[in-house]
Amino acid sequence: MAIFESPESLHAVLGTFFERLRQVDQAYLVYQIGGTLEFIFNKPSTRIRWIPQPPDSALPFRIAYGEPTEPVLLTFEQDGDTAHRFWLGRVNLQQALARQQVIARGPLSRAMKLIPHLDTIYPLYQEHLVAIGRSDLLEVRR
Amino acid sequence: MRAAVVSDYGEPVRIVSLEIDDPGPNEVLVEMRASGVCHSDWHAVSGRLPLPVPMVLGHEGAGVVRKVGSRVRQIQPGDCVVLSWIPSCGSCWWCTDGHPELCERANDAAVNGTLASGDKRVRWDGTPISVFSATGTLADFAVVSERSVVTIPSDMPFEEASLLGCAVQTGVGAALRSPIRPGDTILVVGAGGVGLNIVQGARIRGAAKIIAVDLSATNRELALSLGATLTINPAKDDPLLAILDYTHDRGVDVAFEAVGQVELVALAFNAARRGGTAVAIGVPAPNENLSINAFAFPSQEKTLTGSWYGGSFAPRDIPRLVELWKSGHLRLAPLIKRRYRLDDTPKAFEDLISGRGGRSVIAW
Repeated sequence: MAIFESPESLHAVLGTFFERLRQVDQAYLVYQIGGTLEFIFNKPSTRIRWIPQPPDSALPFRIAYGEPTEPVLLTFEQDGDTAHRFWLGRVNLQQALARQQVIARGPLSRAMKLIPHLDTIYPLYQEHLVAIGRSDLLEVRR
Repeated sequence: MRAAVVSDYGEPVRIVSLEIDDPGPNEVLVEMRASGVCHSDWHAVSGRLPLPVPMVLGHEGAGVVRKVGSRVRQIQPGDCVVLSWIPSCGSCWWCTDGHPELCERANDAAVNGTLASGDKRVRWDGTPISVFSATGTLADFAVVSERSVVTIPSDMPFEEASLLGCAVQTGVGAALRSPIRPGDTILVVGAGGVGLNIVQGARIRGAAKIIAVDLSATNRELALSLGATLTINPAKDDPLLAILDYTHDRGVDVAFEAVGQVELVALAFNAARRGGTAVAIGVPAPNENLSINAFAFPSQEKTLTGSWYGGSFAPRDIPRLVELWKSGHLRLAPLIKRRYRLDDTPKAFEDLISGRGGRSVIAW
């Protein structure tokens, strides 16, 4: 059974996590990507974007849901289960790309700016799951 | 020390002054004497091959060992060595399964820009920076794992030896580990640094006909001198039609793609005969996908496979390649068309991407 049964359930977990990420130190890394980063999810089908905001904004990026109305620089397409495992730190991105579990479109090198910092972001997702009462999602089936 | 560095994707290659640490317990310090300039380095510069930057470029080198770590036993100061960019650990699942070229730890090191130990030994203004594929040979010195070096004869020219570190192992290795049988007809798409060595490997393996496809006249001439029996200029002739003409519509027994363009992988697959094999060796971007006819797999029993580093294990294969070179079966000197000093590395990359053909080597 899928981790997220509906777009709403994915938004309630990953969407709120992304909202939380806007407020951590690593959020400013979004400026190194240099454009909008879109996550396209299958199972359930939905989209979430990180849209960089001007440097003088209170937070470095905003979150948008649904079909994009603005240019997107880089997309990562994956199903909800893979996304959940990724943010838990259980997915090797290199292997996931090779197996087409994650399909990346756009300048992949821009995303490399985030990779060295992921080890500091994974624990935030675990903390977030606990904070929203979804500790049941901390363990994934192998 | 001086080194050729890319500071960020798309930025010019620069020669900068760096600090280098002493080798760790299982590492050695190598004074570089020659280093090839390879398209893979350029892909790191452009970001097509997304590796962590800033980074010391270069992964195909030869030099002299100057210092060894406290636990190093097999290598001595003064040894002449070739560097390998896959320091296989010998203990991970892939190494013990007989595929040291797929070593998990070596792969992690390459992806993270570290040495096999996970450490970084080069610093830029005090900050540790990455090295290309656990080596970083475009520098006056390189600290690498002892598993990254293989000794060579002291009288072997460093410039020729340096090419054993990547292009020769990759190309010859891919041919030797492919299903080529004596008398076969072979296709090599892309007769550059790796492709020319596939031509040599196919000849060594006993292929009767070797077709080389390349835009560069220099590379086509080199291919003919190294064993190709037909060359095709894709700017002039449709490669697939020319190959089918040459093989009486049967196709080739084994086809190799050595460029890293998905359209050319498809060409290699389409040019293989029924029951034939296509081998993808060139490195596309990590997020590129391939479109080929699925019906051809069952109905024509075709095989599409890949080859990484020619399936090589440097401690086993470099001594064999040296013997092939000594006996004249493997030719290295003709591959080198241009020589530069380290300070001219940016110019060497310019010449590389302009498609001048043949290999460029930085010599000290």
